[in-house]
Formats: sequence, structure tokens, C-alpha cells
Amino acid sequence: MFKNKKSFFTRLGLFIAILGPGIITGSVDNDAGGITTYSVAAAVYGYNLIWTLVPSFMVLVVIQEMNARMGIVTGKGLADLIRENAGAKITFFIFVGLLIADIGNTTTEFAGVAGSMEIFGVSKYISVPIVGFLVWFLVVKGTYKIAERIFLLFSVSLLMYVISAFMGKPHWGEIGRSIVHPTLDINTKSISMIIGLVGTTIAPWMQFYMQSSVIEKGLKMKQYKYTLMDIVVGCVVTVVVAFFIMVACASTLHVNGDIINEAKDAALALKPLAGEFASQVFAFGLFVASVFSATILPLACAFYVSEAFGFEAGIDKKWDEAKEFYTLYTGILVIGAAIILIPNAPLIAISLWSQVLNGLLLPVVLICMILLINNKKIMGKYVNKPANNIIGWGAVIILVTLSLLLLLLKIFQ
Amino acid sequence: MNTVTTFYLSRVIGHKAFDTNRKCIGVVKDLLVDPESSTHSSGHPVVNGIKIKFKKKVVFYSFQNFHIEKVNGETKVICDQLIELNSDQINGNLYLVQSVLDNQIVDINGRKLVRVNDVRLVTIVNDTFAVAVDIGMEGLLRRIGIAAPVKLAFSIFRSTIPSKFILWEDVETIDSSNSNIKLSKSYAKLQTLHPSDLADIIEDLGRKASAEVFSALDDEKAADVMEELETDTQVHILESLSIEKAADVLDKMPADEVADILDALEDERAELLLNEMEKDTSQEVRELLVYPDHTVGSIMSSEVMSFNLNLTVEDVLAELRNIKPEFETLYNLFVTDENEKLLATFSIRDIVISQPDVRISQIMKPSPVHLRDYQKINEVAEIVSKYNLLAIPVVDKNNVLKGMVVIDDVIEDLIRKRRTNK
Repeated sequence: MFKNKKSFFTRLGLFIAILGPGIITGSVDNDAGGITTYSVAAAVYGYNLIWTLVPSFMVLVVIQEMNARMGIVTGKGLADLIRENAGAKITFFIFVGLLIADIGNTTTEFAGVAGSMEIFGVSKYISVPIVGFLVWFLVVKGTYKIAERIFLLFSVSLLMYVISAFMGKPHWGEIGRSIVHPTLDINTKSISMIIGLVGTTIAPWMQFYMQSSVIEKGLKMKQYKYTLMDIVVGCVVTVVVAFFIMVACASTLHVNGDIINEAKDAALALKPLAGEFASQVFAFGLFVASVFSATILPLACAFYVSEAFGFEAGIDKKWDEAKEFYTLYTGILVIGAAIILIPNAPLIAISLWSQVLNGLLLPVVLICMILLINNKKIMGKYVNKPANNIIGWGAVIILVTLSLLLLLLKIFQ
Repeated sequence: MNTVTTFYLSRVIGHKAFDTNRKCIGVVKDLLVDPESSTHSSGHPVVNGIKIKFKKKVVFYSFQNFHIEKVNGETKVICDQLIELNSDQINGNLYLVQSVLDNQIVDINGRKLVRVNDVRLVTIVNDTFAVAVDIGMEGLLRRIGIAAPVKLAFSIFRSTIPSKFILWEDVETIDSSNSNIKLSKSYAKLQTLHPSDLADIIEDLGRKASAEVFSALDDEKAADVMEELETDTQVHILESLSIEKAADVLDKMPADEVADILDALEDERAELLLNEMEKDTSQEVRELLVYPDHTVGSIMSSEVMSFNLNLTVEDVLAELRNIKPEFETLYNLFVTDENEKLLATFSIRDIVISQPDVRISQIMKPSPVHLRDYQKINEVAEIVSKYNLLAIPVVDKNNVLKGMVVIDDVIEDLIRKRRTNK
């Protein structure tokens, strides 16, 4: 047992063992809602909104690092910490908001399932109930861990968007120029698009999920370096995939002036422009991302709501032991799937409103996080360094300003 | 005047307190109870002090001269005389808002952690006690401030909001907020729990609280709990305990379990602990640490009893009474020659049903099924199941008895494998 110097391979082994929370969170991040927002933004604004990925990436890394650090030091979930320090009232409003947003997000995931399967000629009245039941069964029967690994493997297919992007023959010079000098009119539409993009890249529920997975992994401060690498890799994956989705859509749909409303439209519209294969690649990626997120999102949500209100929670518990938890989980899944099956349901409105709610909740959750992580009683010597605080508060201020600006523009128009 | 007998903590916190002339003396921030008073007399902790904030200044007063009034359904805090508490009187008290409300406590009967939504207090004559914690839906709604309308809505359907209280004598509070004041809380109620339940609870606690609760257990209990903990938690706790305390706990544990834990620790820390432990225990552990992870040696228990085949049943009984082995060791007895080589096995049953003068050679079962110390673990389960064994002796390449593998260890290994395969 008494090993000597750690070789390169031991280090690599350590990294792979710790690998997980960041990369899974990053993959789930590019869900149906994300893909939709990226495609729509690119179809409307071309390359001009790609620059938002740069600040989003920075904030994403800083926030997830804070989550990991809080999880490692306290061993407590973010919901636990908020409840214990902010009291019942604030907790209640945050979590009711999160619950509603998550039901909306789950609906979006099932819209992704329905849309992508329709491209392969499967009716949503068949695909949604089957996927919904499978997801529920997987989790309740406790084979969730296996499922998570399969999904992680499948999420490599997200990189297929890279192929999709290249098939659209993008103008790289122009992309570079737009990142440095975007041309953009300031109006309600563009601002709500930016809030939507940031809100979907840094979704509030992810912070809770991230912190819980760090605790479940039993990570320690000694492994901090590897944890940080895991987070950075996860965030890079998120942003790279988002980048290529935007490039794929901007270089085809925007150039042709196609207006799309859902991710499915993007897949369909790619067909005449980039070929049948690109369209199917896009649809397959959408399907995998949707199922992955439809599994994790309701589960994470049921978990942290239970945590905050002191209900027994966990998939290792029996139904009778954790009634509230399973009821919540099943409820979110059933409502999300059922809304899709209503003929002529206002899917775009639901998707839009859940994004807006996400965007509004994000600064609230962020403020809670920054206050908690600067509390010496909770974090001891691991409180935030000034740089973390500057980026954290900066993100809060920018998000709040954007939200207020949107509100003002709406009023004065 | 209408002095209420029972009230909720949430009804007074954040409300103004008044003196007898109806003049505001500040806002109630917290109530202080004496946690030790719960161990004697009524079993309910008495409220000692009240924390009041007035114009940005926080003052602690004695609760003796305070009382709670209900006027037109509203709860009022009235004070006859303000007596400030000094820091000695404040120390050692439990803060109901800071450490109990919204925090997790242990439900002793339910053997799990629950979150406190509210605390119910009662005033009897001049003393006020915390009598129960509210962990139900009603308490949560009361905190949010929507209990009344929801209650009304429920009453239309002739049903009630599910409420759930636990009496104070059936809970143990976990106070991890006092980092500077050494509270040396006894956690006496936790000592009554089964080690496995206690281990589950400690795993669910935060980092700071789990270490604090663990270090309050006596060595014997701590050792039993340590065995049941998951590896992550074991490592975390061993790293937060002092070397002396950690070594004391490890001394009380079977050597094979200690070897498993030390394997997960950093090498330096493990070496420190081994040096601090008692000589013979640490020697046994060191021998076990040599075996690689997947071998029989790494899961075997080295605590075995072996006898010479010429001894009588009476001799064996005398020796057992003298050594007083743990039950696992007692059930499976072995016969070895003068070079410690394994010859046979016999069971406690053979001893019990035989006459005192019978020799071991007459009752023993020679050439027993055995394992080699460097054999792979995954072969063990099959052998256990094939021969219906509860324990199998382990020998080295010279047939010298090294220990035994108990069915419990085999099952533990199988479960761990299944879990990591997921």
C-alpha cells in the first residue's frame, strides 16, 4: 500500500476516477432547451450572438467551482445550505420557482424527444409515452447509475454537431469577426435572446445537481485539482457543442433567411441545405440530449426540493419511505410528458417562459451561493477569493441589469 | 391578562417585545435553552435566555421575567424586568433559531435525520420549556405564513393538513454552529441507537457535524460505528479526529477492518496511526496490509483461536473463558500442530455436546476446506456456498494458519462489487 511517487498513470487514473460531476453536468446542460435556444439564436442573428459563449464559459467555470468547493467543504447540498441559512420563507419561494421552471424544462425535453423522433417518422403519441415510461422505470427500479454511464457514452454523439457544422460550410473568418465585433441592435428581442442564451447555458438547477454529485462522489480537498480539471473539461464540452450548433445553424439557416421556432425545425431545415445526413445527425443528437436530460432533470429537481423541505429523498429508498420524493419525481415527469401530448399545446410559449424563469432565478440562486460561500462559519478558510467574488457579483449585476433593461424596454415600447 | 400556555417559536421570532408600559424593547431574534436540563427532571429543556435586537444592538436577557401573551389571536412578548445575561450564562446554551430551526436533528425513534420546521414551547407557572419539534407540513406552511388559508381550503374538503410533532425527549439536536465554544455535548441519546443506524445518520450529516458527533461517542461505540461507515466517511472522520483518539478507536476494531480503512488513508497518516496504536494490534494490521486488494488475505480476519489436538474439551472451555473471544472467533475453532500448521476444525457445538474429558482429536474434522492467503476473492463465494460454510480457515503456502474468512466479509465484498459495477 505504501506507494512512492505518483507516476503519470496514477495521476491519470486519479483523474478518471474523479471524472464525472463536471462532465455529466456539462453534457446535461446541452439539453433540448439549450439546443433550441442556440439554433433559434443563430438562425435569427447569425454569428452575431456567438460571443455570449465566452462570458458564459467564464461564469460557468467560476460558479461550478464554487459549487464543488461548497460540496467538498460542507458535505451538504446547496438546498440544505440555503434552507439552513435563509429560513423557510425565502427557501419556499426559490424552490417553488425552481419547481415550476423545471416542469417547464422537462416539457421542453419531451418536446425534443417528440420532435427528433418525428424526423425519423415516429409519432409523438408513441415516442413520448414510451420514453417517459422507460425513464421513470429506469430511475425507480434503481438502475439509474448504469443509465447515467450509457448516457454519458451516448453524449459523445453531441460532438456530431461538429460534423453538422462543417457540412454547412461556415465562413470561419466571418465567425472570428463576429465574436470580436458583433453587429447587434439593442431591443427587447435581442436582449431576451441574450438572457435566454445565458439562462440556458447556466441553468439554476445545475448548481444544485453539481453540488450533490460532488458529495455523492465523496470528493475531498486533496482531489481539488482534479475536480477543477473535471469542471473545466465539462464546461469546455458545453461551450464547444453550443458553438458548433450555433455555427451549423448560422451558416445555413440564417444565410437562407429561414425562421425556426424549435430544434426540430432546425433539423428539418438543415436537410435541403446540408443534406439528409446532417439533418439526421442533428436529430439523433437532439434525441440523446433530450432523453438524458429528461432522466436527470426531474430526478435532480425532486431531490433538491425534498432536501429543502426535509422530505426523505433518494433512489435507494423505497416508495413508502420517501413518498414525497417519488410523488414529486413522478409528477414532474408525468406533467412534462402530458403537456406535449395535448394537441396544439403552446410549446414555444412554455419553452420561452421556462427560460425566462430560469434567467430570473439565476441571479437569486447566485446571490445565495455567493453569500454562503463567503460565510466563514460555513466555509472556514475556504471562503471565496476576491477574483471569484468579482466574477460572481459581476455576473449577478449584468444579469439583473439585462433583466431590468428588458422590463423597461417592454414598458416603453 | 391571558397568559398562553403553549406557543410556537415561529410566532415570537421576528416579533417585537414590549415592556409593561407597552414600550417596544426590540425584536426577538432567538431563544436560548439549556440542553443539559433535558437529561434530568421533566426531560424538556428550559428556556434560559432571549436574544433581542434593538437599534442594531444585540442583547441577551434572562427569560425569567418574560412571558407570552395572546391578544386577539396575536402572540405578544411582554417583559416585566430586563436582566442582562453575562457571557458565562450565555455559553453552553443551545440557540433554538440558530441551531435547531431549519436544521437537521436526529429522530431517535425513527432512527433518521429530520428537518425542523418549528418548535413548540409551553409555559408552566414561571418556566418555559421546549416540548416538541414540528417536522410536519403544517409547521412548514405556518413558517411561510400561509397556514391559515391552506387550513381553510382543506376544511372545505373536510380534511386537515398533515401535522407531525416529535417530543423533545425523542430527538437529539446536532449543534455544529458553535465552532469557537467547545460545547462538549454528550449526545447521550445517540448512544442508544444501533451502530448501523448511527452510521447511516452520521453519513447523512455535513462534514463538521459528522466529525463532532463521532468524536462524542465513547471508544467502544465509536469502533462499532466506524466499522459500519462508508469508506469516504471513515477517511473524513479519521482525518478530523486527533491521532490519539483515532488510534484508540482503531484499537477496538478487528484488524482486518482497520487494514481496510488504513488502505484508504494517506500513507503518512496511516503510518502515524499505526505507531500510535497498541503494539500487538498494529502488528496484526501491518501483516494484513501486505496483501493486495483482491486477495483473500485482504478480507480475512486474523483473530482466530487454534488448539493442540491433545487437549480435552475441558481445557478448551477453560481457555475460552480466559480469552473471552468475540462470537465470530468463538464459533469457529481450529486445530494446529506445534508449527501452527492447520490440521482440523471443530465447532462450539462439538464442545457443548461433548463430555469434558473427551479429547479434541476425537471430535475434530480433519483435512478441512481451506483458502490460501493469496487466492483471489471472487473464488470464495462459490466455496462458501458449495460447502455451506460460515467461516473458512486461511493458510499460507506452508499451510500455516493465518486467519479465517467469515461469510459476512464475503457478502460485504459481493455487495461492494455489485455497487461499483453499476
